[in-house]
Amino acid sequence: MERDKLIFCYVMVAPALILTVGLGIYPMLASMVMSFQLYDLLQINAVGTPFVGFENYIAVFQDPRFVQTIVNTVLFTIIAVVVSIAMGLFLSQVINANFKGRAVLRTLVFVPWFVPPVVASAIWMWLLQTERSPINHALQSMGLIDTDIRFLTDPSTFGPFSIPMMAVAAVRVWNGLPVIIIFLLAGLQSIPKGLYEAAEIDGASIMQKFWFVTLPMLRPVMSVLLALLVMNGLGQFEINYIMTRGGPQNLTNIMAVYSYQQAFMFFRFDYAAAASGVILLMTSVVCIFYVRAQSKDTLR
Amino acid sequence: MDKMLKLDRARSDLMRSVARGSLVAITSAGVTLSSIAPALAQDNSIEFWTQSYGDALQWNATIRDLAAEFEAETGISVQHETINWSVAFDTWLTVSRGGAAPDCADMYWLHSFSAIGGDQYGPMPINEYRDQWENLDENFFEGSLQDVTWQGDFYGIPWRGDIRSFIYRTDAFAEAGIEGPPETWDEIVDIATELTERDENGNVTRWGYAYGTATNSVSWLLPYYWQAGGDFMTEDGRTATIDNEAMRTALTFMRDLMWEHEVVDPDSMEANYDPQPGFLAGDIAMINSAEQSWGVELDRDYPQLEGQWAMSLTPEGPENRDSFSGGGYLGVLRGTDKVEQCVEWMEFLSQEDNMATLSRVSGNVSTRRDVMDSEFWNDRPWKVVVGEALEYARTSQHPAPAWSAIAAPEPGAVLYDMMYDAVVRQQDLDEVISRAQERMQAELDRSNVQ
Amino acid sequence: MTRALENGAIADPARAKTGFRNNDPITRFVVVLVMGLMLVYILLPVFWMIKSSFQTSLEVQAIPPIWLPETWSLDAYFDAGLLIPLWRYMFNSIVVSVVSAVITTAIAATGAYVLARYRFPGAMLILGMILATQLIPAITRVFPVYFLVQDLQLLNTYAGLILAYVGFSLPFAILLLRGYFQTSSPPELEEAAMIDGCTHFGAFWRVILPISLPGLAAVTIFSFLNSWNDFLWASLLLSSGAMKTVQVGIGDFASEGGGVQYINAFMAACVIATIPALILFFFVQRWLVSGLTAGAVKG
Repeated sequence: MERDKLIFCYVMVAPALILTVGLGIYPMLASMVMSFQLYDLLQINAVGTPFVGFENYIAVFQDPRFVQTIVNTVLFTIIAVVVSIAMGLFLSQVINANFKGRAVLRTLVFVPWFVPPVVASAIWMWLLQTERSPINHALQSMGLIDTDIRFLTDPSTFGPFSIPMMAVAAVRVWNGLPVIIIFLLAGLQSIPKGLYEAAEIDGASIMQKFWFVTLPMLRPVMSVLLALLVMNGLGQFEINYIMTRGGPQNLTNIMAVYSYQQAFMFFRFDYAAAASGVILLMTSVVCIFYVRAQSKDTLR
Repeated sequence: MDKMLKLDRARSDLMRSVARGSLVAITSAGVTLSSIAPALAQDNSIEFWTQSYGDALQWNATIRDLAAEFEAETGISVQHETINWSVAFDTWLTVSRGGAAPDCADMYWLHSFSAIGGDQYGPMPINEYRDQWENLDENFFEGSLQDVTWQGDFYGIPWRGDIRSFIYRTDAFAEAGIEGPPETWDEIVDIATELTERDENGNVTRWGYAYGTATNSVSWLLPYYWQAGGDFMTEDGRTATIDNEAMRTALTFMRDLMWEHEVVDPDSMEANYDPQPGFLAGDIAMINSAEQSWGVELDRDYPQLEGQWAMSLTPEGPENRDSFSGGGYLGVLRGTDKVEQCVEWMEFLSQEDNMATLSRVSGNVSTRRDVMDSEFWNDRPWKVVVGEALEYARTSQHPAPAWSAIAAPEPGAVLYDMMYDAVVRQQDLDEVISRAQERMQAELDRSNVQ
Repeated sequence: MTRALENGAIADPARAKTGFRNNDPITRFVVVLVMGLMLVYILLPVFWMIKSSFQTSLEVQAIPPIWLPETWSLDAYFDAGLLIPLWRYMFNSIVVSVVSAVITTAIAATGAYVLARYRFPGAMLILGMILATQLIPAITRVFPVYFLVQDLQLLNTYAGLILAYVGFSLPFAILLLRGYFQTSSPPELEEAAMIDGCTHFGAFWRVILPISLPGLAAVTIFSFLNSWNDFLWASLLLSSGAMKTVQVGIGDFASEGGGVQYINAFMAACVIATIPALILFFFVQRWLVSGLTAGAVKG
């Protein structure tokens, strides 16, 4: 009986395990090994791929662009996560409420999900191109601005922030919003109605209900969401790469783009792997926090 | 009686058409069988990849027709595949590391990909077949043949050139009463200043000048540097030679156009910059280093602009009038066992009339002299200019595997960073250039390790 | 944005009572205003894509921009079909996305079930590995996965791309379903079933799966959209002519020459490419939310 159970377990989990190892763990390990090798496509035929210890890591950290890139990556992630969760909380509350036309509104809010990132970036680039931007034209005709906003190219900075960073972040938020809303919506619907009724009897205001009922009840969803968003955010690639290639002046460059350029433009797979290694380190920290928070929750 | 006759005739018509039909069916079946039979006996098909040029639809149809003609002639069938430009570089990189490869293909950047592929993958030298092309040296432009030679080996047949000349809006020129296109750097500055227009808020409504058309911003620098008398590296491809007066002249010129004369969009070097819509709308008055494919495109897609634009030779710099030229070639990939068939196909494509077809459809200049002398390349004023520009064309491909990394139009690449720091950020020229020289030397050394 | 939220949803605590309905007019006005602004932000690109697909390409490029087509034309849609074999590409995309979504769900369901319900040696390790695969950016996997698929002789086959998609969607799917199984179905159900003579698998198949449909639906649509929206892998693993997915086909427009002469056809192709996912969503959205409600929420 016990043996049957074990066989059953392993058979059931085997396909998932094989795929996870083959397409997840193996590439990850291969990349980590590469980050400790000299792996330069232009030298590979002459010198092979000898181990070089931490040299690749030292090399990328000596590149001032990379250091700025780490800061950008963290900033992008924070902006995207904070703004999209804030917007998600608002939007999910609204479409969770009962009113006429809710179904239509719901579908409209989810539409960005069906626009692939590649297409979304192309359309946003069109919308944000200084001279032809309909946003600039609309703002000008409303008299809100005099000179065109250079959404993707203005190099002036406000501390670590800049207009292009905000513009690209806005596209990332746009792209990720539907998934966040759907999670929060699910979270909202799992809150027992009785809790609100009880709060109302106690005379709680809408603010108090949000603060003392909704937010605490959303905690589990929020922690899953946060972990997911932060991990995905640190490894994000497509939107930044297509829209700006990291420019202007490296202001929108992020680690995954840096890694891609090293490998596919400059043939330095070793530096690319080292950059990925740094990403791995950062996501691992997030992951550890998440797992610890989870296990605390379960203990409670 | 009449009726009977009619019926009879109808019946015999019917019979005849049935007979004819079945005959067609039988013959065509025979043809199909006979073309399958040898294919079964000995696999006689080759896989051939190209990038996409001009109108995608027309391009695919053209290759299909050429392949059909070739098959009828030789019995070798060609399976054509188009590679999307956006993934072309990744694709060739994968091919050069042992990824799925065709038998032969339309390729570029020979020096990099053959270095990466080594003896196992990537472009394959075909020295022993070179003699199959009669009068190769007379028929083809010399520069184009340089691009298919690497370390003394012959790798294939150049088929397209990418020549840059000067393009401008004649309507804007006429309106301002300017006679002809600029002939020198100084005239560029004068005319561009005159043609740049701003509205009352300071928004630019027309830029007088743009450095170049292609989204490859590094390709703009090359001609300015050459025109100032510079060379990027020594002939053996081992030593970087960019820390000199010529580079200072070129970068100063570019920087001043942007900041002192304010006739160039300061966003020019960003990834999302594209001068084409601006030029079409008349918001950019002139562009240097314009690809000749613009001519084909404007003729085909924007007939309403006829008479409002013209091409001319790239204005002359302090030293000369060198202009940018890129290129692509037809080559064989290592790992194929059908070299003979591939060479036959390449030979077929490189015949005069086929090269003329490829040139016409792709909008690229041909590497064959006779094609460039043909009617097609002389029936429009801009085409005559392109033909003249060939005289000043200088290959942009340098004999070093690291060149594609050095010249990548991407932040982080040596030349891009140098241009960006000097022109857009206006940093100290001497520092910027000596830093670039050092980095470029390191890149060249990378690929010369023994 | 945070301020907007406070102003909108929760302003004026003294008077607000239950939900937005019973709020005073000012609060309602602010909520509607903020909602309106957000809708503009969410829908502007979609609107731009749709209206451009009905214009001529010159009209799309006009400066200042033209917000509504002067004459509504379907030409771009016909052009899109002529320029690339759009319908064939759509078919490829549907095959690849549907099959990979179904396989992902099947494999994730079996794996997640035992990981949720049974204790066996190595379970925690497997879970850890699944979590770990989420830690590196997708581009890091490009070369290893490409050569893996090549070694399996699956380049330029549906199977190769499906394999990759299943691999990439799987970790998230397992984590989601594991949470779902843990919370939505009490263990007593299987115990009862097994007392009735069901095997382990029988209990899973006949008792647990039928009551887990919402969770399975949620996972299916997540995996479907992952595959449907992908460009990178499709362009590397399935690049051969007729086999291309619609996203890669659309990419062919953009990379063509200047890329602007067919901008309207490009937009038309984009519109067409979003429709199947939209339809699918419309039908499953009910389950999607309830599936997640029980699942990820408590995972």
